[in-house]
Amino acid sequence: MIKWYKPRRRPLLRQPVVLVALGWLVLVGGAALLAPWLALGDPVVVSAERVLLSPKADFLLGTDMLGRDVLARLVWGGRWTLGMGLVGLGLAVGLGLPVGLVSGTVGGWLDVVLMRMVDGMLAFPGLLLAMATIAVLGRSIISVAVAVGLAAAPAYARVARSATREVRAQPYVDAARAIGSTEGHVMVRHVLPNVTAPLLAFAATQLGWILLNGAALNFLGLGVELGTPEWGAMLADGRGYLRDGPWASAFPGLALTLTVLAVNLLADGVQEATRPR
Amino acid sequence: MNRILAWCVLLSVVLIGCAGPSSEERGVYGLTLAPSGIDPHVNASSELGIPLTSVYDTLVYLDPETGEFVPGLAERWDISSDGLVHTFYLRRGVTFHDGTPFNAEAVRFNLARITSPDLASQKARFMLGPYERVHVVDEYTVQIYLSEPFAPFLDTLSQVYLGMASPAAVEQWGDEYQLHQVGSGPFVFAEYVPGDHILLRRNPDYAWGPTVYRHETAQLEEIEFRFFTDPATRSPALETGEVDVMGEIPPQDAARLKSNPDFRIEPVPIPGASLMIFMNTERPPLDDVRVRQALLYATDRQAIVSTVFRESSPVAHGPLAAVTLGYEPAVEEFYPFDVERAMALLAEVGWSDTDGDGVRDREGQPLALDLYLMGWGHMPEVGQWLISQWAELGIAVNSQVVSYPEALEVAAQGKHHLIPFNLSGSDPDILRQFFHSQAEFNWSKIADLEMDTWLETAARTLERADRVELYSRVQLRVMDGALVIPIRDYVNLNGVSNRVQGLGFDAQGWFPWLIDVTLSE
Repeated sequence: MIKWYKPRRRPLLRQPVVLVALGWLVLVGGAALLAPWLALGDPVVVSAERVLLSPKADFLLGTDMLGRDVLARLVWGGRWTLGMGLVGLGLAVGLGLPVGLVSGTVGGWLDVVLMRMVDGMLAFPGLLLAMATIAVLGRSIISVAVAVGLAAAPAYARVARSATREVRAQPYVDAARAIGSTEGHVMVRHVLPNVTAPLLAFAATQLGWILLNGAALNFLGLGVELGTPEWGAMLADGRGYLRDGPWASAFPGLALTLTVLAVNLLADGVQEATRPR
Repeated sequence: MNRILAWCVLLSVVLIGCAGPSSEERGVYGLTLAPSGIDPHVNASSELGIPLTSVYDTLVYLDPETGEFVPGLAERWDISSDGLVHTFYLRRGVTFHDGTPFNAEAVRFNLARITSPDLASQKARFMLGPYERVHVVDEYTVQIYLSEPFAPFLDTLSQVYLGMASPAAVEQWGDEYQLHQVGSGPFVFAEYVPGDHILLRRNPDYAWGPTVYRHETAQLEEIEFRFFTDPATRSPALETGEVDVMGEIPPQDAARLKSNPDFRIEPVPIPGASLMIFMNTERPPLDDVRVRQALLYATDRQAIVSTVFRESSPVAHGPLAAVTLGYEPAVEEFYPFDVERAMALLAEVGWSDTDGDGVRDREGQPLALDLYLMGWGHMPEVGQWLISQWAELGIAVNSQVVSYPEALEVAAQGKHHLIPFNLSGSDPDILRQFFHSQAEFNWSKIADLEMDTWLETAARTLERADRVELYSRVQLRVMDGALVIPIRDYVNLNGVSNRVQGLGFDAQGWFPWLIDVTLSE
């Protein structure tokens, strides 16, 4: 096979795209973290006097149908949306990584049982699985985070397993075994450090999925309480007012799109930076 | 040869296309819900009546202009002096769309169907109240016996839920009848694809319409009904010409359509219960009337109406919409928006913010209320408004959006503090569904024996003035006891293309009289 293009390995911070993506994420994440200390309007107070005002000096991103400041809601909403994403990712990795590692290391009947369970979960579309989880847990933002985390976990387990198996086939693992290392030692000392790169890249990809689908569940009213500034919920609220105040849903939509895009670009960058030579 | 054949096929397709009704004879009507069932004897949805009011005839009709009942399939009727026996003298020469003749036996068949426990009627059976039995006197005379007088009885019989169906069709189709409905009205039920569309076709033989209809037969050849469940899609569907009439246009879109010369908004005030938030009087802290009163004073209804409803519907002051028979205007004196008073009442009961977290507390418990909302009728927007407004007074609200069945369950178990709801109906007896201690929608969990008696007596009282007096007392008692927070009277904003003329609505405000509708190019 002819290789037309041999990808180069480039450090993360040498990639301009990654820098831009990181810049956006730092901006959004930082604003969300510092929301209480920023000079913003109140994100929840309604007002009959300022319904659907277009963006201008007082309200940089305009106001929504109940007269709330869209910018303030967007910044505060980052806390819910990004927080939900991180909790969900934590859950996906926390569940998927051990299952994949153990399955790939131990093999045999345990591998068969675990992977058939994973296959069973993968047979359902992720969003459906998440909705089923919410049906059991009840509606709340925590449920949404848990639901998207659980829905993302099986794919993560699969990737972790195949990465593990790939590393375990390497000569240096055989060498380690030959000098008497136990399986546990091999897993922690040799496998784990070497699967980090691909798993990190996949985690970033999954974060994008989690953010998008978590917001979708909030859009459907399965998550945050009414009136909570969360990007998905803001999109849903503003949807009926697209003709009179497009900014009320356009800006949360844009924020979500850019954030997911940035996370995915970051994932690409991580992949490029860790590509084997 | 093949080419000639192909041309023939093409030509015939074009010709068939031309043979269909022209755009002047075919209207498209936008519905807002896709009901799970549309058998008027079985199902309760008010959406089903929009097409089906023109498929069925009823024994009597309520003239919305005079408030009097006029003949329908019954030419005239007598009511016995004790109010227990209604004798209907039926019109002759009426046939159902399938050719079955309409007669006393058909009336008996329909009433027997509705009251049969096997049918599990969700609305029609309930509307018949103390119905006991039906007796066929001769081919065109039928008597209905009640176990006690029931004032709303003619109102019941005037509604599509009591429409007369062809006994032969009901027998033929059984459980699938809702897909093959046969009445005797100005339009024939031609096609129903659930969730997609309903098609009505003109009944050319119709000649027995009530006086409230202005035409002898329908003016349009066909009317198709399509479903637009997402409010955001309704106004675009009208503006792009996809539909000619669209119900329940969102207020913000209605405001914009008003300035468009191609369309008009026909607002129809709906009688019945206003949109009100039921306060659970059994669950602390709402078991204290002062806390409930505080919530009423703390609610700026005018601001909600102007923001969420764009002034398209009036502020509600009591449990009945102002256009309902028996509305008591004295309720307008209750509970003006008064934050000071609300705060004073809360402080009086001992709710104050001692720990400085912005939420009032008492004996270590925060003042937090559980609000359950259904996703329609702008309830989520109203809910957000209240949550924000009350937060400033130190009242925390936990909200949850639920489906109708979930809401019924929550309310039955009394898990709620607050649930908003509204229901339409042309008779004030609707109050009995909410404020009688045994009522289906007694979501305030009120058990007021005196009010029970008033409601029961009013339902039995045939003299209108006496009934109105009783309902007036009920309305004042409801507001005195702060059982509900009324928000707004329901107004259906129908968006209508200017090529539509003659669109009128029945006394319920929901159901159009399609026979009189015409279209111009």
